[in-house]
Amino acid sequence: MLKKPDVKVVLLGDMNVGKTSLLHRYVEKKFHETVSTVGGAFYLKQWGPHSISIWDTAGREQFHGLGSMYCRGAAAVIFVYDVSNFQSLVELEDRFLALTDTASTDCIFAIVGNKVDLTDECASVNETEGEKPCHATTGSTAKVRKQVHVEDAVSLYKRVLKYKMLDEKEAPPAEKMCFETSAKSGFSVDFLFESVFDTVVPLLKKKANGPSETVDLTDSNKAMKGTRSGCCK
Amino acid sequence: MRKGETTEDKGIGWDADMEVGSSDLQNQEEMGSSEEQLKTLSVEGGAHGNLTTVEEKPHKSCSYEPQETNAGETLMSSSQAPQEMKTEQPSVHTVTFEGGFCRGSQILSPVPQKYKLEAKAENDPQNNVLVVGDGEWTNGPGEAESEETLIIQNSAAVMEKSGGTTASQNDLLEDMKRVPVSFNNEPEEEEVNLITQNCRYEETQVISAPCPQINIPEEAEVTRVPVSRSSGPKVSDMEGILPQDLAENLNETRDNSSDRDLSDSASTDNTLEDSSEFTQRPLMGRDSLSPESSLVTASAHRDDDVTAEEWRAHHKHIFVLSEAGKPIYSRYGNEEALSSTMGVMMALVSFVQTGNNCIRSIYSDDRKVVFVQQGPLVLVSVSRTLQSEQQLRRELMYVYYQIISMLTQASISRIFERKKNYDLRRLLAGSEKILDSLLDLLERDPGFLLGAVQCLSLPASLRDSLSTILQKAITTNLVFSILVARSQLVTIVQEKAVIEDCRLDPADLHLLLNLIGASSAFQAGEIWTPICLPRFNPDGYFYAYISYLDPECTVCLILLSTDKESFYAVSDCKKRAEESMRTQGSLQVLTDGLQRDSYSVAMVGVPDLWHFMYKPMDIPDNYRQLTQFTSPETEGPYAREEERQRLFDLYRYLHSRLHSTSRPLRLIYHMAEKETLLAWVTSKFELYTSFSPLVTKAGAISLVTKLLHWLKKEEDRLFIRYPPKYSNTPGPSKSSKASRTSDRTDTARGENGFFLGL
Repeated sequence: MLKKPDVKVVLLGDMNVGKTSLLHRYVEKKFHETVSTVGGAFYLKQWGPHSISIWDTAGREQFHGLGSMYCRGAAAVIFVYDVSNFQSLVELEDRFLALTDTASTDCIFAIVGNKVDLTDECASVNETEGEKPCHATTGSTAKVRKQVHVEDAVSLYKRVLKYKMLDEKEAPPAEKMCFETSAKSGFSVDFLFESVFDTVVPLLKKKANGPSETVDLTDSNKAMKGTRSGCCK
Repeated sequence: MRKGETTEDKGIGWDADMEVGSSDLQNQEEMGSSEEQLKTLSVEGGAHGNLTTVEEKPHKSCSYEPQETNAGETLMSSSQAPQEMKTEQPSVHTVTFEGGFCRGSQILSPVPQKYKLEAKAENDPQNNVLVVGDGEWTNGPGEAESEETLIIQNSAAVMEKSGGTTASQNDLLEDMKRVPVSFNNEPEEEEVNLITQNCRYEETQVISAPCPQINIPEEAEVTRVPVSRSSGPKVSDMEGILPQDLAENLNETRDNSSDRDLSDSASTDNTLEDSSEFTQRPLMGRDSLSPESSLVTASAHRDDDVTAEEWRAHHKHIFVLSEAGKPIYSRYGNEEALSSTMGVMMALVSFVQTGNNCIRSIYSDDRKVVFVQQGPLVLVSVSRTLQSEQQLRRELMYVYYQIISMLTQASISRIFERKKNYDLRRLLAGSEKILDSLLDLLERDPGFLLGAVQCLSLPASLRDSLSTILQKAITTNLVFSILVARSQLVTIVQEKAVIEDCRLDPADLHLLLNLIGASSAFQAGEIWTPICLPRFNPDGYFYAYISYLDPECTVCLILLSTDKESFYAVSDCKKRAEESMRTQGSLQVLTDGLQRDSYSVAMVGVPDLWHFMYKPMDIPDNYRQLTQFTSPETEGPYAREEERQRLFDLYRYLHSRLHSTSRPLRLIYHMAEKETLLAWVTSKFELYTSFSPLVTKAGAISLVTKLLHWLKKEEDRLFIRYPPKYSNTPGPSKSSKASRTSDRTDTARGENGFFLGL
C-alpha cells in the first residue's frame, strides 16, 4: 500500500487572490506570473519527519464542486483573500467555508491577506512580527487603497470557528492565525507556511496516540458521515 | 473521386453553398488511380463547356482561383461565365440561411415547392421580409431592427489576403458563395440568402433550374447570378460555352425581375443606405464602413475599444453566447461591451429559428459569418479568412468542445434549464486563456485541420519500451495513460476492458493538450483535475493526473482515471513509471531526442519537396486507433512565421477543396504564388505536399511516389503502428491483471457512475 502524506493542507480562496503564487513563492522561492489553476495541484513538502501535502486549489467557480474533494480530511485550511479586494474576503465566507465540511473535525484555519505589496499603507502586522512589510516593492507600482484590514480577517476567523463549532479557547488564537503576505515580494510567506505547519504537526502527534491512526481516511469518513446525517435530519 | 466533379468543381463554388451538392451525381464515376485522375482533370477541363455546367452556374459563384492552373487547361470554365456577364453588379453580399425554402424580401431563393409567398415582399414597403420555412417573416416597423441586422454593408473593399491571393481572387471566392437567389441592381446592396438546412429539394431545384427564367415562378423574385468583376483568362471560353442569347436571357430576366421589384427593393435599399441604423449594425463586414457609420458604431460603445478599427480588423472573431443572448466569450474585446452585438447575433438565430430553421452562415463581401448552435450555446465565427464554412464550423465545434471539456454538456444544459439567463462566464472565469490559446492553435496546428494527432518521431523500440512501462504502471480505474513530449504524442495506453468500443478521439487529445499547455500551474507539482473528453463522453468527467517528468517540462505524463478519489493511487503509478523509465534510461533518450527538431524534410531525400503533411488511414487496428499524421519541421522557405502561415493557409484551402461537401476532389495540383502544391486523398491516406514552383504535374506525381515510399519505410518511426493496450486476456501470467481489469470495469460502471452519465 502506498504511503499517504501525514498531513493535508489546503489553500482555498477566490480566483486571482494569489494562492498558486503563494505556494510557488514558498516552494520555489520565486514569484512568477501564473495563469489560472485548473482543478488542484498537489505539492509534497517534507517537514521534519513528516511529509505534508499541500493542495493548491482552483479558485474558479467552475471547480467549486470539487473543493470538498480536495478538502477531504484536511488538517489545515488556509483561506486566502486579496487585501485590495474586499469581495474576495466575503467570498471566503460565502463560498469556501462550506467546503471545509469535509475537512478533518479538528482542522485548523489560517486566514491570509495576500498582495500587501499593492496597497498604499504598510500592513499592520501583528506586533509580534515587528517587521515592516512593503519595503521590497515600494515605488514599483501605483498603490491601491487597502480594502481589507487585519481586523476584518480576525472577525472572519472567529466566525469560522463558530461555524465549525470549535471552541475559541482551544483553537489557536486569531492573532496567530491571521496573516498578511505578499507572494510577489515574499513578505511573510515562509512565516505563514511555517506557522501553519508548526501548529498542525503537534496536533498530529496528539492524534497518533489516539484511537485513529491516520489523519486522512478515518477522519474524513467520519466527517463525511457527520455532514450527511446532518443534512438528512 | 468523381470525374465529373473535378472539373465542375472549379466552376461551382466549392464553398459556395455547403448544402448544394449531389446535383452532379449523374456524371460522377469512380476514378481509378491518381494519375488517371490527373489526366482526367486536364482532359475534362477542356470539355467543360457542356450544358450541365452552364446550368449550374447560377447557383454557384464560381470560386475558382485563377492561380490554380490546372495544367493550364481549363479548369475555370463555364461557371465563371455568369460572373463575367454580370459585371454590372459589383458587390453583392449574400446572407445565407438554411431552411426548407428560403425567401427574403430582397432575396429569394428559388425554392420551388413551397413557394407561395411571392407577393409579400412587394407588399411590404420595407421590403423586410425574410422567409424561412413555411412562415414568413415580416419585418414590420417593429422588427425592423433585426431585419437590418441581416444586411451587411460592405463597400466592396476587398482585403488583400496575406495568403497570397490577390484581390480579384478574393472577389471570385466571395462571389462564388453567393447563392444565385437574389437580384439586386444596386451595387451597394447586399443580398440575403436563406439556405435551409434541409433543403435538398431546394438545391436540386436550383440546379435543375439553372436559368432563372426557366424555373422561377413569375412572382418569385429573380435569381441573380453572382457577378464577378474579375475576368480570368478563361472568359473567352465561357462565352463560347454559354450561348450569347442565353446570357442575354439571364440578364434580361434579372432586369425584369428587378424592375418588378424595383419599388420594394429600391426603397429598402435606399433606406438602408441612408439610415445610420443600418450601418451601425455591430455585426460584421464592417471594415469598409463609411465614416458616418463608424461614428454611429462608436457612439454605441463609446468607451470601448471594440469600436476601434483594429478590433474590426481582426481576421477571425469568435463569439460564444447563451441562448438568452448573454455573452460568454469573445476572442477580442470585452464581452460586456459586446453584449449588444451578441444580442443581435442571438436575434438572427432566433429569428430564423422561429421558422423551424437554423441559421448556418452569412456571406458578405469579404467575411463569412458562421453559426453553430449546440444545446444552449450559440457560437459565431466572423472571419475574413479563406477558410470554408465547413472548416470554420469545425473550429467552432472545437471551441464548443473545449468549453464542454471544462464543464460537461450535462451540467451546461442543467444550468440553463434551471436558469435561462445564467451568466456562464461565472463558471468559465479564468478559462478565457484556454480558449484563447485554442484559437491560436487552430490557426497554426494542422492537427486540428486534419483531425489527427502528430506523433513524436521515435525509434519503434523506444516507443515500445515506453508503452510497456506505462502498461505496467496501472491501477484500478485508470483508463488512459498518455505520454506527451512537446505537444506531440509519444505513446498512449488505454484500458481495453473499459473502452472496448471507444477510443480516444484526436479532438479530445488536442483539447487536453491545449488545456495543459495553457496552464502554467502545471509546471510544478502534480495536477489532479476533472476533465471531460467531449468526444468520448460529453457528460462525464475523467480525473486527469498531470505531471512533468523532466525539469524542462517537455515530457508530460497524463493519467486519466474515472475515480476522483484515486489521486494517491494514480500518483503512485506515475512514480513507478518514472522510476522504470529512469532505470531503463528511456527517459534520457527521449529528452535527448527532444533537443533536436523533430525531423527535416531533407531527410526524405526528395528534391524540390519543401513540406508535406501525411495522414495515413490504413494503420492496423485503425478503428480503435487514434488518427495520426506526420509533418516535418517547417524550415527552408517556410522558416519565417508569415511564410509558415501562408503555407498553412494554402493547405487549408486545398483541404477545403478536397473535402468540399458539394464537390469533393481527390487530387489537386495547385500552382501558388511561390510553390506548387499537390493534395491527394485516397482511401489509404491523405497527403498535402508543397514543391518548388518549377515542378510539373507529372514531376509532382513522381516525387509524391518517392515520398510515399519513404513514408512507408519510416512508418514505424513516425507513427504508433500497433497501439499498446492493457491486456485482459486471461493467461497464467496475466491472471492477476485480468481480474483487476474486470474489477475496474465494474467499479467504473457501478460505483462511480461514470457510465451512468455522471
